[in-house]
This record gives sequence, C-alpha cells and structure tokens, in this order.
Amino acid sequence: MSSFKRKVSSKQVALPLGTRISPSSPATTITSTGIPSFDDILGGGLPLSCTSLTLAPDQHSAYGELVQKYFIAQGLASGQRICVVDEFAKEFVKDSMWMPNTASPVPPSPKEMERDEEEEEAAGGVEKSIKIAWRYEQMKQFQTTVPRISEEDYCRTFDLTCQLPASIVDSATAESTMTFLTTKLADGSTSLVESTISAITDLLHKDVQGQSSTPIPRRICVPALGSCQWGDMTSHDICRFLHALRRLLRRYNHACASLSLAPHLCADAWGGPGWVNKLGWLSDACISMSAFTADPSLSELFPNHHGLLRIHNLPAPHTILSPSDKHSTLRGVSSSVSSAGGGGENNLAFRCMRKRLVFETLHLDVEGGVGERRTTRSTNSVLLEAVSPKEHHHHDHSESGHIGEPTVQVQLESVAPVTVNLAEGVEGNASVKKPTKVKKKVGFRSDKPDLYDF
Amino acid sequence: MFPSSNFPSQGQFLLLTDEPSSAADFLLHKSLNSHLKGSSKSRCIVLSVSESLARWKAVSARSNTNLDSYINSESLEFVDVCAASDPPNLKAPSSAPFRPVLDELRSKLGSNGAEYPLVILDDISSLEWIGFSVLDLTRFLRALLALIFKFDASLIVRHHIITPGDPDDLLRFLLELCTFHMEVRTLSSGRSGAVSGEIALHPGRTTVPTGFRTVARARAVQYRLTDAGSVFFEKGTGEAVL
Repeated sequence: MSSFKRKVSSKQVALPLGTRISPSSPATTITSTGIPSFDDILGGGLPLSCTSLTLAPDQHSAYGELVQKYFIAQGLASGQRICVVDEFAKEFVKDSMWMPNTASPVPPSPKEMERDEEEEEAAGGVEKSIKIAWRYEQMKQFQTTVPRISEEDYCRTFDLTCQLPASIVDSATAESTMTFLTTKLADGSTSLVESTISAITDLLHKDVQGQSSTPIPRRICVPALGSCQWGDMTSHDICRFLHALRRLLRRYNHACASLSLAPHLCADAWGGPGWVNKLGWLSDACISMSAFTADPSLSELFPNHHGLLRIHNLPAPHTILSPSDKHSTLRGVSSSVSSAGGGGENNLAFRCMRKRLVFETLHLDVEGGVGERRTTRSTNSVLLEAVSPKEHHHHDHSESGHIGEPTVQVQLESVAPVTVNLAEGVEGNASVKKPTKVKKKVGFRSDKPDLYDF
Repeated sequence: MFPSSNFPSQGQFLLLTDEPSSAADFLLHKSLNSHLKGSSKSRCIVLSVSESLARWKAVSARSNTNLDSYINSESLEFVDVCAASDPPNLKAPSSAPFRPVLDELRSKLGSNGAEYPLVILDDISSLEWIGFSVLDLTRFLRALLALIFKFDASLIVRHHIITPGDPDDLLRFLLELCTFHMEVRTLSSGRSGAVSGEIALHPGRTTVPTGFRTVARARAVQYRLTDAGSVFFEKGTGEAVL
C-alpha cells in the first residue's frame, strides 16, 4: 500500500441544483442550456451571473424561441427556478419540449436516442455492412457534433416530439419555482425597461432572502425582447435593458438569463451599422442563428443544415480567456493550438431534426473540397431513392403505367455517376435478381493536409 | 516587454480600442496590475461601466495580484459610473449627468499624495449605447482630461469599435484628444488558437515626440491569450509559424 494518500478536502461546498464547476475556472459555476452542442460552444454551459442572447434574424422560422424552450425545459427538469418575461409566458412554456417516455420509470438512455436519430437520418442498413479499404476501416466515423453528456442530471435528453406535460407547469407554478412576469408599466414608472428590471430585481432579491448560502439557481428567460408587447422600443432601450440585466446578474450570481430578440431587431438594418456587434458587447454570450429559409440558394448548397451559426461573444466571467476557447470541441480553436497547426475556428451550422436541435461543424460537400470523410450516400441519390420505390409499385400494378418515368431515370443514370442505387432500383423493377454491389463514394480526410494544399 | 510598464506616463491619455472577438480586457488588467505592482505608493482608480469589481478581482487573482489588499490600503478604488451618474433620460436630459462621478474622482485624486495615479475608464461606448448623448460624453471626457492634467495622472479609456474602418463621432473626438491610440484588432483571417489578435500603437494628435516607439499596423504585435494573461510576439514568430 502506498504511503501517499490524496488529500481530500472535507469541506466540499454543495453545488446548486443542476450546475457544475466550469472546467477552466473553479470560481465559475455553469448550468446547461438543454442543448449539449450549445453547451460545448459556450465552454461547458452557461455560467451563472451571465446573459446569453440568441439572435435569429429570419422572420419565417423561430429558432431563437426553440433555444429558449430548451433553456426552460432544462431548468424545469433539473428543478431550478425559472422566470419567464413575456405576455403569453404560460402558453410559451406549455409549448416546450420534454423528455421522452416520462411515463415509464426508466427514460431511454442517450445511446438509444442517438440510435433513433441515426435511423431517422435514413442512412440505411446497408451502410453498416459496407467493406471499405482496410486502412480506413479502423477510423472513427466522421463526427460533426459532440455526443451527449453521460451525466443525466446536468443536461437532460429532450425530444422535440414530446410536449411538456401541463401538470408539470401547473405544479411548478403552484410551488412558485416558475414565475411569469408580464411586460407592463409599473405604477409611477415611465419606462417598460425600468419597470421590468425592477420586477426582476425584486424576484432575485426574494430568492436570496429566504435561502441559505447557496440559493437554488434562477433562470430568467425573455423569449421575444422588443416584440410588439414591449411597445415602441428604441435601440437605446434594448441596449439599456441588456446592460441593466447584466449588471443585475453580476449582483445576484445565482441567476443566469437567456434572451432572444424579435426577428426584425436582429439585423443591422434595424439598429444602424454595427448593431449586432453592439448587442454582442452588451451580452456575455451572443450567437446568431441565420436560417436558410430566407435564402433558398443556401439550403441547396448545404442540404444537411438549416442555417449558419455565428458567434459574436462568449462568456468569460472569471478569466481573460473564454472557457470555450479551451474546451469547445466544435469551435476547434484549442485543438489547433496543440497540434501547432494554427488553424482557424471551425465554421458552424445548425440542424433541427425531428427530435432535437444540434449545432455542428460545417463542411463543404465532396464536390467543394476534401474536407470530410464521407461514408453516406450523396443526398441526391438518397432523395431519388426515396421517390423511386413508390413508382415501382405503381408500375407493377398498372400495365398502363407511366412508361416515361423509368426512361427519365435511366437517362439520369447515364448522366450522373451518383445514381448507382437508382440503377439497382430499376433492375429490381425488371425482376432481375442479380445482386449488384453498391458502389461507395468515399472521400476522406487526410491527417496530412499538405497533400491537398495547393 | 510590451507594453512597457510605465505606459501611459504622467499626463498622458491612452485610447484603447478593441473589436468584437478581440476584447482588450487583458490589456486593462495588465496595465492595472503592472501599475499597482510598480511602486508601493502608486494608486489606481477604475471607473467601470459594465464590469463588476468581482470580475476584476477574479482575473487579477489569476495573475497573483490580490486586489482586496490594494482596496484595503486605498491604492485601488472602484467607481461604478452607472450607479454614480444620473441615468440617461431621453425625455428630460440632465444638464450634467456625470457631475457626481467627476466630483467623486476629484475628491479621490486630491485626497492623498500618490506618485502618479492611473485612471481607467472601461468603457465609454457602452455609455453611448445606453442613451447618453455624444455631447454629454465629450463634455465628460474633457472634464476628465482636465482633472488628469491637474493631478498629473494618466488616463486609459476603452472604446469598442463596432464598425471597423468607419469611425463614429465619439471615436473621432477621442482620436483628437488622445496622446496614444492603442488598437487591438482581430486578424483578418479570423480567430485561431495560436494567434488571438494583433495590437498597433499610433501617436495621437496631442503627442509630443518623446522617442516613444509606436507600432504601425503593418508591423503590429501579435498576441495570444492564456489563462493568466497574454503572450506577445512579433508577426511571423508565432507558435504555429516556427
């Protein structure tokens, strides 16, 4: 037995509910946003006493609100206090997502969820059994996002297909763990910003008063700052709100806030030149999620993603270097230091699937460069395949079927090398049971980029 | 060592500008720490707009500076500008919203004889954004500068540039007043782990040629942020290059 023994401090301060210590600084307590990949970008999670602002400039989608709903759902799941500042706050909360199979005692493990997603992505069972060159066989599958965290309590697994049960909202409201603040002018106040800030101050003050040394964390959520319910807000008003809220949270460091702006306020066109940069400076974490719905050409270019993610600011409450720079896998700034490659930050994008929202690294398609080891079929062929079986069926049963369609497909086959699978489909149709081997397109990422650097 | 420890020196006004994703906090903390450690009689007054004292303490603790001891010995004083000044009221603008801040600063500067006090204003642009007029701010800066000259102190003012290449009214005014302009810029190629950004140092309008070396943009010094502070190196001598 070794005579050396690790010294264990007996007085370990109990962490508040649903939080953990930041990996970069012992003084920082972080809490999850409900989205594992967003936590990764923030450097583990959103630190208490910090504000996070999500800009979603696209009018036709509501990704900003989606991030807020994750934030609320995570708060409810980990038993933290929540305060939603909105005129229709209760309706907003009731629309949130929730954990799958809440009725069953054992929630599905993250791995199962992961599998679900994989199936959902319709990669097909053939992919698994494909033999590829032996030297690439040992390589891991190319990862574009971070895996879920194993600690269930810190970041729960939410499913967008499940809705938050009304009973949970009701009981949280009854226990006053959830508070709704409406945007209305207080008596004697002339400004909505001031009266809202003072209402939040009262709430935070009450939290601290009744509690011992470590109060339960409070999440403040403002789903649509500057929307019509806030009246006619100027850019100064929004700046003042963000500034005042941040100062307030610095005083009450058991709380953190997540905000979204109304979509029309999220672009420079509204607040004048440099408006988005201004917002970035006035909040601790600021990201903008610009969805492709506004620009069809972009969604054609990046068929796997739903929008681009831009980072304007990252929280660093107790350090000069933001924890994200050291610990974020997705941004990839830290890895470039260690390998002395001096590479830049990764491009990021987001994707909203049936069950979850993920932030991922963005890569050009194979046609655009060898940036990705690709083992799935090109999206074109997947799309075509999704269409073709129905048509076969139709063709079999009606003799007067569309003769034109297969010929069109055959033409495609002759044009594009992608349609290998299509060829398989057509042959199947002609009831020729010759087992054809699916050709694989395997582009790969090399460890020595200089081979491909021109 | 960059920047040198007695910079800015007496009666000098250093304008520090930074851009999103290359914040200049590290230079402010560096100046504060090196000033406080420079001599036992040195003093520093921080006029803070956005950051709390807790963050100043936490960051300084990383570079082995205990700000509490300096605060107890009154070597360091912290003034919350937002709390001290009248809030910006667009309907009935106050004639002199920053008078209470200036009065407080005057009494602090005149209270006991220090070697040469350093005043840090972090930052001026947030004040503009939350609704103070440019006129109010220019008056405040002039009064602040008059105090600096009177008490033979030095001043660092931080300004965020949100429209690179297109200076706004406040920045134009600051450029006219300053002795030196230190510019912290992001690399045009974006952020990387090996280089966080670059720093240039320009002479201001009121600079008297003293043989102090300025750094042109073309030869800007590059830096990389670390946990405790920052590492400076000449362009082209970074870890990734050598």
